[in-house]
Amino acid sequence: MAKKLDINFNELVSCSTAASGSSLVHRLDPRAKWLVTLAFAVTATSFGKYEIARLMPLFFYPFAMIALSGVAVADVLRRTALAAPFILLAGLFNPFFDRHVLISLWGFPLTGGWVSFLSITLRSVLVVSSVVLLSLTTRSDRLFSGLGELGVPSIFVVQLQFLNRYILLLAGEVQRIVRAHSLRSGSRRNSVSLFLSGSMLGILLLKSMDRAARVHWAMLARGFDGEVRTACPLKFSWQRDGAFVLIWVAFFGAVRFIDIPFLLFGWAVGK
Amino acid sequence: MSHHFLEVNDLYYSYPDGTEALKGVSLRLEHGEAVGLVGANGAGKSTLLLAVAGLVFSGSGTVNIGGAILSKKTLGEIRRRLGFIFQDPEDQLFMPTVFDDVAFGPLNQGLSAGEVSFRVEEALRSVGAGHLSDRPAYRLSGGEKRAVSIAAVLSMLPDILLMDEPSSGLDPRNRRMLIGLLGDFTHTRLIATHDLDLVLDVCPRTIVLHRGEIAADGHTEEIFRDEGLLERCSLEPPLCMQGVRS
Repeated sequence: MAKKLDINFNELVSCSTAASGSSLVHRLDPRAKWLVTLAFAVTATSFGKYEIARLMPLFFYPFAMIALSGVAVADVLRRTALAAPFILLAGLFNPFFDRHVLISLWGFPLTGGWVSFLSITLRSVLVVSSVVLLSLTTRSDRLFSGLGELGVPSIFVVQLQFLNRYILLLAGEVQRIVRAHSLRSGSRRNSVSLFLSGSMLGILLLKSMDRAARVHWAMLARGFDGEVRTACPLKFSWQRDGAFVLIWVAFFGAVRFIDIPFLLFGWAVGK
Repeated sequence: MSHHFLEVNDLYYSYPDGTEALKGVSLRLEHGEAVGLVGANGAGKSTLLLAVAGLVFSGSGTVNIGGAILSKKTLGEIRRRLGFIFQDPEDQLFMPTVFDDVAFGPLNQGLSAGEVSFRVEEALRSVGAGHLSDRPAYRLSGGEKRAVSIAAVLSMLPDILLMDEPSSGLDPRNRRMLIGLLGDFTHTRLIATHDLDLVLDVCPRTIVLHRGEIAADGHTEEIFRDEGLLERCSLEPPLCMQGVRS
């Protein structure tokens, strides 16, 4: 378990490292990336529940962003896979409730439930991967500053900023507690009893509260007044950031309102 | 420039569980003075520093920073004059990069981007950490974190420095560098520490705190030679004054 935690801790750290890159995508104003990600999510979720083929052109967006940013495909896939249980759970019961046959594939009847399950899964993968790409290509401070500049109330922005910071500190505390347990539990080092987990969680809570108080003191001592200011204010360039937003929104609009797969491959299915 | 003094009068503080941490502490630091604050664990050193910075509010007594009496009204002004360096640099470093962390204080002071940038570069240079500017703070070594946490305070140009265990967790080389750095500062300094050798090197004057009260206040070497006092306050002489024991 300690080894798994080490891996997850390193995963958190590597996410921040990837976000500090210098590619074209990394340099874009975070507001532009937020807007495009939001437009992408709205487009992906706006299709009907049985749509599958028309979702396919949307995969161009994550692939283009990966190519432009230089982010490792494996990083995006691994982080997207972390959401897999939630993604699968979202449409898991559709095959049981929606049993009417939509089409027959090589003699096998395909029910609406299975088609909608696949559609929900594809849409979720698209949306999660776009959010993963946003976080891998934008430094956390700029990401949250962008949210503030887009009009999200500062109280939420500050909460997110410090949640992001505390995750690393909290992960460090968890790592130390689990390591201490692992070193003194002999052959049972991979299992933690329910009673002990409760005690460990309690200690973690108390330590976190102490830590939170100290971090807050350190902030107050340096003049914190409820707003986190940034040394490099965001600059929205219409030529670069505006064009990025317009091009992608136009593409998403085209995907939404034009049946691109049919236009390209309609002849192959004989329509 | 004689106004960077720190005066504490009859300060009391009790924790919510009733434990009395400070019992009538009074002291005065003159402009540019470096004073060591020593005492056993639980003597009240950290609490005294927190109370002086207005991070915990005492039950009674006054804190006077350069003529401004500490109160909720003067808190902002007093925190501009005080620089507080915490025991664990991790508590102080919470921004994504070293530059952002050192810029946190000056930005809160409402300075322009150019002035902030100048202050950050100067502060990092003064602690020998100019090359760390773009690094994420959580990736630094213990010594680098300590240097950056000091720079994060220096960038605010404080008049008075309060330091809580500045040498804890440092290896001998980084500790030696820190001692050199603290010795070069011209700020009024109150340094709470268990590292009596550091006090001997940096602070001509020492205050011994014992169970929330001042047990002694005087010349550092004289205090460290008083074995009876050190024994009573659960302290030991600095290593360099102990000699070789068989």
